[in-house]
Amino acid sequence: MSTITIAWIGFPFFVGFLIFLLPKLDRYLTMLGAIASAGYALLLFAEKSPLKLQLLDNFGVTLELDDLTGYFVLTNALVTAAVLLYCWGTGKTAFFYAQTIIVHGSVNAAFACADFVSLYVALEVSGIAAFLLIAYPRSDRSIWVALRYLFISNTAMLFYLVGAVLAYQTSHTFAFAGLRGAPPEALALIFMGLLVKGGVFVSGLWLPLTHSESETPVSALLSGIVVKAGVYPLLRCALILPEVDPIVRIFGVGTALLGVFYAVFEKDTKRMLAFHTVSQLGFILAAPSVGGFYALTHGLVKSSLFLLAGNLPSRNFKDLQKKHIDTPMWIALVIASLSISGYPLLAGFGAKVLTVKNLLPWQAIAMNVAAVGTAISFAKFIFLRPGGQKDVKSGFWPGVVLLLGGLFAANSFYFEAYKALNIIKAIATIGIGWLGYFVVFRSSVLKLPRVLEEFEHLIGFMSLISMLIFWMAFS
Amino acid sequence: MLEAFVFATILCGFLGIILKKNLVMKIVAMDVMSTGVIAYYVLIASREGLFTPIVSQVKNGGAYADPVPQAVILTAIVIGFSIQALMLVGVIKLARDNPTLESNEIEKNNTP
Repeated sequence: MSTITIAWIGFPFFVGFLIFLLPKLDRYLTMLGAIASAGYALLLFAEKSPLKLQLLDNFGVTLELDDLTGYFVLTNALVTAAVLLYCWGTGKTAFFYAQTIIVHGSVNAAFACADFVSLYVALEVSGIAAFLLIAYPRSDRSIWVALRYLFISNTAMLFYLVGAVLAYQTSHTFAFAGLRGAPPEALALIFMGLLVKGGVFVSGLWLPLTHSESETPVSALLSGIVVKAGVYPLLRCALILPEVDPIVRIFGVGTALLGVFYAVFEKDTKRMLAFHTVSQLGFILAAPSVGGFYALTHGLVKSSLFLLAGNLPSRNFKDLQKKHIDTPMWIALVIASLSISGYPLLAGFGAKVLTVKNLLPWQAIAMNVAAVGTAISFAKFIFLRPGGQKDVKSGFWPGVVLLLGGLFAANSFYFEAYKALNIIKAIATIGIGWLGYFVVFRSSVLKLPRVLEEFEHLIGFMSLISMLIFWMAFS
Repeated sequence: MLEAFVFATILCGFLGIILKKNLVMKIVAMDVMSTGVIAYYVLIASREGLFTPIVSQVKNGGAYADPVPQAVILTAIVIGFSIQALMLVGVIKLARDNPTLESNEIEKNNTP
């Protein structure tokens, strides 16, 4: 198993470089990489005990893989495969596919490693590859968005590095467990870096612009998996160290509410989805022990929604309400929106039930409010009118069907959710949400200011967030 | 004392990122910041001794520098350098349409 693990981590990078040598085979090689990851994830689920590897010597790379990793790796594989199918006939160059598989590989590496330095390398590689993907159209706007993304993530990672060496100073190891007994400033700097990278809470407000202004397949990739590379280490730290668990949970609740607050008022489809990613990351963080399953359902649903939203006739909800949209596309939109709102029969339901079951009492009210907000914001998609006609690219349906099929299949991970009480609660939540949508939000004209999304404010917020975590860790 | 200087460097870089208007200056400020971080790693490595950690015949009382942070920061230097290069390429492209490179102007032109 250890040999397979190492081969699995190295394989996407090998494939990525091979694509440059054999540009004719680009799509097939990328698909091979995604399938290899899916196969590995299934192997990981079959494995009974968690896998711990210590490569080289005492100070070498540490890897830790268990069920939680399995969910994240599976998400990564499915989303990459779907995005690839979507791009199949679009004439993208080999460069695009090479970067896609390198993002895939670096995110895999981030899911596997259990020490701060390997994590740093994995996150930076994913940042660089994501930069190249965002800037792929070479327009002024795409370059600016990509530059802003790289700038913010690199600045955050510099703080993270300082935090990592402070943790090393006390425990003489870079492993996650070395955070125990580290001074609060180490924790503050490391967590701030991860929160920024993962797009959580106010430090994650770079995310809406980046994800909404990228090309459709790139948005799906970014929202589906790349942000999870920043969130996963937070979950891992919370599981290893019980004392940081409350901090992670508080940020989970905070970001769930903040994201959903912006999402209900948003008038633009892709921005709404991006804000919603900020909110859903909160659900993943709110219950660290079961975050993996939620990450899987969120990855599937959010990438399919981004692919769908990219092919709607307009990005403005007001315009969309006046038009008839293609019926099969509307059905797909409804399935995805119902899943994310937590409707039974779809995997989103099981994930929500499992998360709510693992919440602490003080979190429950806030998370239920966030769930209602989710239903409100996705009512905007559900109550569009079907009946129109639109021709889509040949690769569109295979990609979306793979993701939505995954949503049905993922139910099998948690059948125990289907109890009368849970079903009633889920339907009630959605009912309240839709009522709220028709009474208040359908006609609301309030437009929230974007001042917090400006570049300088985003950088400035880093210092505030690290101070906040410092005091949380201190007390 | 040395530690204070290192932190001052990091802070200068950080403030430079926020306060400088020109995009190139922002990138230079980020480089200053990363220089500070690298210096901090070297400083931590030298806490227990200054000698290069190579086993040899020369006696020096075992006061070797810690090789681990040094090895780690070597990776970070390479990554930081490549990111810097990428960003400057992006800036070259942006400079065609925004010759002044003022970041708030670019931001205004490119946000929907």
